[in-house]
Amino acid sequence: MLIKVFSAANLGLETIKVDVEVNLANRGLPGFEIVGLPDKAVDESKERVRAAIISSGVEFPMKKIIVNLAPADVPKEGSFYDLPIAIGILKSVLQFSLPEKSLFFGELSLDGSLRHTRGAFLLALFAKEAGLENLFVPKDSANEAAIIKGIRVYPVENLFELTSHFLGRKLIKPAIFKKSEIDERLPAPAEFDMKEILGQEQAKRAMEIAVAGSHNIIMIGSPGSGKTMLARALPGIMPPLSEEESLEVTKLYSATGNILPGGSLVTSRQFRAPHHTASQVGLIGGGVKPQPGEISLAHRGVLFLDEFSEFPRSVMEAMRQPLEDGYLTISRSKERVKYPADFMLVASANPCPCGYLNHPKKNCVCSSRQIKKYQKRISGPILDRIDLHIVVQPVDVEEFSENQKASEFLESSVKIKERVLAARQIQLERFKGEGIYTNAQMKNSQIKKYCRLTKEVEQILKQAGIRFQLSARSYMKMIKVARTIADLDGAEDIGISHMAEALQYRPKIYED
Amino acid sequence: MKKIMVNVIEIQDKKYPELLKKIKDAPKKLYYKGEFKNDIFENCLAVVGSRRLTSYGRRMTELLVSEIAVKGITIVSGFMYGGDEAAHRTAVEAGGRTIAVMPCGINVIHPEYQEDLYNKILNNNGLIISEFEGDLLPALWTYPKRNRIVAGLSKAVLVVEAGLNSGTLITTGFAKSFGRKIFAVPGPLTSEVSRGTAQLIKQGAEIVMDASDILKYFNISTIDSIKANSSKKNSNLIQLSALEKEIIEHLKTESLEADILARMLSIPISKISASLSLMQIKGFIGQDGDKYYIN
Repeated sequence: MLIKVFSAANLGLETIKVDVEVNLANRGLPGFEIVGLPDKAVDESKERVRAAIISSGVEFPMKKIIVNLAPADVPKEGSFYDLPIAIGILKSVLQFSLPEKSLFFGELSLDGSLRHTRGAFLLALFAKEAGLENLFVPKDSANEAAIIKGIRVYPVENLFELTSHFLGRKLIKPAIFKKSEIDERLPAPAEFDMKEILGQEQAKRAMEIAVAGSHNIIMIGSPGSGKTMLARALPGIMPPLSEEESLEVTKLYSATGNILPGGSLVTSRQFRAPHHTASQVGLIGGGVKPQPGEISLAHRGVLFLDEFSEFPRSVMEAMRQPLEDGYLTISRSKERVKYPADFMLVASANPCPCGYLNHPKKNCVCSSRQIKKYQKRISGPILDRIDLHIVVQPVDVEEFSENQKASEFLESSVKIKERVLAARQIQLERFKGEGIYTNAQMKNSQIKKYCRLTKEVEQILKQAGIRFQLSARSYMKMIKVARTIADLDGAEDIGISHMAEALQYRPKIYED
Repeated sequence: MKKIMVNVIEIQDKKYPELLKKIKDAPKKLYYKGEFKNDIFENCLAVVGSRRLTSYGRRMTELLVSEIAVKGITIVSGFMYGGDEAAHRTAVEAGGRTIAVMPCGINVIHPEYQEDLYNKILNNNGLIISEFEGDLLPALWTYPKRNRIVAGLSKAVLVVEAGLNSGTLITTGFAKSFGRKIFAVPGPLTSEVSRGTAQLIKQGAEIVMDASDILKYFNISTIDSIKANSSKKNSNLIQLSALEKEIIEHLKTESLEADILARMLSIPISKISASLSLMQIKGFIGQDGDKYYIN
């Protein structure tokens, strides 16, 4: 007796249909085999399925069972073929009929219940595109799949419930998408409010500009100067994801199993802060079966690389292309996977090996040669792609507490975020139909189109170019940053003050 | 790199620098690269400083050497990174002449990565000198030997920054025994590399406040240039806006960061930033690390 159940396989961010064929033969010794390039997790599903069926109160058939996962040449991985295999066997035993155009997906527990399984969102997307109507997924993953409208998503708690549904005893109600609080746990909220950071006016302003235009930013300063604190406060001023962006990010997070059980849409920008000992594959992506790395998980969000100069050179160089293109293609002999990786880079570094170069109180003990060597650790081409460069110096807290006026100066993250949101709105409208969202993404032709400079502003930029020895690329960066400053100001044209302020964030040290 | 001719001059030679010849233990032979003109040795000032030159030291070197070098005084130093390098570079950039005394064989560039400066010195009528031939690498004993030539060639020694027990103080020790004048730039005593200069001052070195202190010693008039400078500054200051004037007022007492200025004046940092950039472009103020100062 041959039974066909449909499921799907996720290859990177693409999904293909997989037919799960279950054959129960009366002849031959009883047994259970899975064929069709299963990996270890799929192969082990035999034991899970057997236990789960028995736990559901059904006798496991003493027949020779062959499960074929077709197409046979695509490697199958993961645990989500448990449900379709179990349904195939149960169907032959209990003799119920399956609804047409249905897709099954989910990992079984030994007691027959279904566990949260990664990739539910991708499957739902695929189901809709392929014209399927019913999707049976674990209850914890149902909200994730239900984001997609136009298909019926059945939240299945356990095998027994599902058989009751097919036998018509007790029907399962399709899930309706609802926003859950769980999503707000992703990412962790900002650790600090901008208000809590004393002083650092210029650094905070630079952060505001960076977030408003999604510019890459590098902070250079001594240990304890507050670089990490500034970065950790960033999530508090980041705008939420737009609907389109949200779907992009959800797709990635679903594929990598980063969506929490019961969670659904990723609505806030992610803040990823990998340590500098992270492997290249972990950061950039790759592996035998290409997986997205931290840069992709930071898609449309922030990638914070603390102690940037400690990152291996090879990792930095590998980041060049995604920084430029906003995606990464990982090629293997058998497959090619494209992962989006459009992130805002926030880097921090010490100015010299001992860390105290230009420190107001401590003496630097490094020779100029050591300093040069240290500063060369950061790849030039990467620095070239960073729009804002700032120096962060430690704040004298004592002096600060005496200065009442200064304390009144402090702005909360909420207030800064308001300005950021307004600036983002202006950019969204400006770039309608251009395929980009922010000023930082502008290509040279777009800079010409959207950043017309008046004669006076151009004059200032030219003079600055001579005095500060700006490279041609730095010119373009300055214009982009000035555009964002003007947007924050609500100004249509880039004024002299906007350009002058942008020049404060030009590359200083770390570039000759 | 194209091979530059190495020449040698012996102590009996007429062209051998007069001042150097007079010191005890003068080198018997001098190897050199570049064009050997005798007038280059006429008015020499040794400028020496710590290898760990602070940004203050670099600024003072630039300020003093650029004015001195244009007056035709040859800047002599030891080609080490830090203070020496700043002195050579400023002299070359100001269009003056400079002599680099190497601690190694004449064929060796040490430190290697300063090759660009090495070539610049030669291309700007400067000289590279060493008493060692061939490919001898620098060693602990060659540095003091080199320092004695630096002091021996010069009429006076200007010390910008020096630590206690540093190589710079070895040079001044030689200079004293040769009867050369010693000038020292004062600096904050909290800085390690200002303690050496402070010691020199205590022992009788002359404090340098501006380039004219040194130029006077070389009998060069300084009045015109300084006058011209100050009148130019005054006429420019009139164009400043109210905020810019206020910033200048604050910077007069000490150099300050943008953050501190914003706090002192209670003005949003965006406005302060813009003003600082504009003033810097116009040349009223300079920047050192993240601090601003009046030019």
